[in-house]
Amino acid sequence: MTSTAKLYAAAPTQRRARAKTDTVQLAIACVLIILSGLIPDLAGNDYWTLSFQLVNLFIAVAALQNLLMHDAGQTSFGQGAIFGVSAYCASVVASTYGLPYWQAACCGVLAAVLAGFLYALPSLRVQGYYLGFVTMSAATVFPEMLVAANRYTNGINGITLNFSALHERTALGVSPMTLMVCGIACAVLAAHVLLRRTALGRRLRVAAISPEAAQSLGVSPGLMRCLAFLIVAFGTGIVGTLYTPVVGFISPAAFHIDASILFFLAVIVGGRGHILGTVVGVWVLYLLPNILLAELAQYRLLVYGAVALVVMLLMPDGIVGTFERWRLRRRTSQPLQSVGLERLLEFHRGPGAAGEKPGAVTGNAIDVRAATKRYGSVSALDSVDLTVRNNHIHGLVGANGSGKTTLLNMLSGFSRLDSGSVRVAGQEVRSMPAHRIARLGLGRTFQKPRIFSTMSLWENVEIGIDAAHKHTHPACLLAALRQAMEEGNVELVPHGQRRLVELMRVVLKGSDIILLDEPAAGLSPSEREQFKKLLCRLRDELGKTIVLVEHDLELVWGIADTITVLEAGKMVAHGSAAEIVDNPFVRKLFIEPTHA
Amino acid sequence: MFDELAIVVIRGIGLGAIFALIAMSMNVVYGATHILNFAQGNMFVLGGFVAVAATPAGQNLSLWLVLVPVAALVLALVVALQGWITLIPLRHSVEQNSWLITTMAVSIMISATLLLVQGPWAATARSPIPPLTMFGVRTPGPYLALMALAIFWFFALRWFLQRTLVGLAVSALSQDLEAARAAGLKVRQLQLLAFAISGLVVGSAGFVAAPLMSISADTGIRYVLNGFVAAVIGGMGSNVGAMVGGALVGVVSMLAIYFVGGEYQGLVSLLLLVGMLLIRPEGLFGQASARRV
Repeated sequence: MTSTAKLYAAAPTQRRARAKTDTVQLAIACVLIILSGLIPDLAGNDYWTLSFQLVNLFIAVAALQNLLMHDAGQTSFGQGAIFGVSAYCASVVASTYGLPYWQAACCGVLAAVLAGFLYALPSLRVQGYYLGFVTMSAATVFPEMLVAANRYTNGINGITLNFSALHERTALGVSPMTLMVCGIACAVLAAHVLLRRTALGRRLRVAAISPEAAQSLGVSPGLMRCLAFLIVAFGTGIVGTLYTPVVGFISPAAFHIDASILFFLAVIVGGRGHILGTVVGVWVLYLLPNILLAELAQYRLLVYGAVALVVMLLMPDGIVGTFERWRLRRRTSQPLQSVGLERLLEFHRGPGAAGEKPGAVTGNAIDVRAATKRYGSVSALDSVDLTVRNNHIHGLVGANGSGKTTLLNMLSGFSRLDSGSVRVAGQEVRSMPAHRIARLGLGRTFQKPRIFSTMSLWENVEIGIDAAHKHTHPACLLAALRQAMEEGNVELVPHGQRRLVELMRVVLKGSDIILLDEPAAGLSPSEREQFKKLLCRLRDELGKTIVLVEHDLELVWGIADTITVLEAGKMVAHGSAAEIVDNPFVRKLFIEPTHA
Repeated sequence: MFDELAIVVIRGIGLGAIFALIAMSMNVVYGATHILNFAQGNMFVLGGFVAVAATPAGQNLSLWLVLVPVAALVLALVVALQGWITLIPLRHSVEQNSWLITTMAVSIMISATLLLVQGPWAATARSPIPPLTMFGVRTPGPYLALMALAIFWFFALRWFLQRTLVGLAVSALSQDLEAARAAGLKVRQLQLLAFAISGLVVGSAGFVAAPLMSISADTGIRYVLNGFVAAVIGGMGSNVGAMVGGALVGVVSMLAIYFVGGEYQGLVSLLLLVGMLLIRPEGLFGQASARRV
């Protein structure tokens, strides 16, 4: 026992480890960017000044791709085209139409956002490397289109724009161009870190990792993907407008598919999701071959490919990613995490609490009539009726394959009925998308708990708070929960507790109706007793309506107000626990040991 | 007008045969490993490079015929080696998408090697097959040879995957990898075999198509993307789909080149791809897969 106490004492010093990693990496990255930008300029070396300005621009674009790929989960092999769209549009407007460059830059950014939107459209239908290949095709077509439209773009001859004023060194010894480029690169990285801490950032990540969990929290994954593409395109557009000022010349050859592939490789080779990863990736893949092989220019491409291959074979998580994993493994082991759902309930007791009045609403929470769903010739649901009253615990039992999970999926909107009607909280939801149903006040947990190891324990709960549209929680409650879970590591939470985390998230979301899909699976007998008490308290103190799909009949008969029994898609018994215990179908369930 | 259309369509089908062959080779690897071999385009170009290296074959038909299987075997070895490299990190890392990078990296390295060996110019090869007249249209030999090769490989793969024991084992991988492993199949070896077979297909295709393509460092990407479009339109994993998709992409590309201009070929492929993905993401002959919630 003393060893556990000592470990607990050590825990506070490891608080906020995850957020700290981001900040530390951001600091290192910014230092590297600023040093690499300023030193050549101060030394007066024009070649290296220009090279590092270009490198820092690439770092900014790669950092945005990092955001798109890791935080939003979208595979894009075509960010180079968006970079090019913005650069070219700005250059064409400035040279052909003679507008001042800042106006041309606005046009460039607008064009980039439009291109980002075009990328977002296929992402609504396909994901993964399919989306990658679509974006890659677009990026391959882009320089060809630039050449084809040579009336406007001057084709392969390119456009020259003079920005020598920005390249002159001021009294400080550095040119305004260097400062702007370093500033933009650092700003992009900082924006990435900040986005991760906002509700939008968390929603993007949930939508990326698990679209169902996102929908159950009222977040539309399609909208999140579009937003991600638009935000990243906006940022890439701003960076792109700096390309021509840096280089002084723009031609289609600069935006060959190789540029897009470089950005993608830089993110992965550096370590996807890590802030420092993009800096390392761009340096290793772009700078190193160019420096080391300055004389042997024809070998650059081969070395670049070989480096990418070798790094991937040795360090599949990327350079920074592998380093981080090694570093985390060396930390002292932490005790198992326990989740305190009781804390949540204590805060809701008493008059000054979150304003949820138990038992005030009458009528039915859920009304299902003649629900039918067929998969081919198999009837998953055959004309099922279900009425769940408010402020009740309703058990749903039956053998495997009887249609319980199908019914749950219908209620939450993840499947559609073939016929029949479903009313939740008084509204017909038969054709409503899942995230809209979630906003009506429906929350659910899944058979496999959707707890994400890429987020901290507190963040896993915080996404529930983000989803609370109509309820506000007292600040002291949030502070207390945060303090308890801030240092939590999801991987140390035992399986039975993970479901409690999910339940906590659902309760904090403010769901009035909670659907639980086999919540007791994996719980020990004493944990089941606690769980029964917990559900009763949720019903009595917080006024929740609970639908419980379970195999543990003893648990269900212990706490349910009403029970529905399904068999082979049909409803065979419905009533209170005492009423239906004599029903022959129910007796059949009890003949086996108390798990159906 | 009709004559011109006939010329374009027949050449389109010939071009489509190339895309179909690349798509079929991608299907073999995809089925066994769920990897889309990005380097397939450059492997195809390498097959053409073998034809360039063996220039006397351009004059002598029998020598050329003998060299087709040789080119196929050479590429089978190269692709199997690439497959082995690609599969190494998948054994023991969390990052299951490393194959994207490794196949891309290999593709880049092949491009770079081609650039080093022959410079930025494109090499060409000659075909010993004389032009034939079909439907009153004079078509260069390679187009017809490619159509024949595509049909040959379609039936050969079908026979192999459905009638031989080894082929059935490879098929099993594409249906359920875990069950295959549990049934005792040597998954890794079968996957390498799949890579080798894809090398046979793509090597022979490259060798036969050599007179038609410009063999340079840049062309690989174009072929792999068009092959991917053909595979997606037909339905990933379906060889019937690959043949149909390839023909479709080939004909539409040729029509676009003829009516609008060569630089729009890429755009037309892209529009076909996006159109199919928006209307029917699983392709013409593919099966939609559902996710369990």
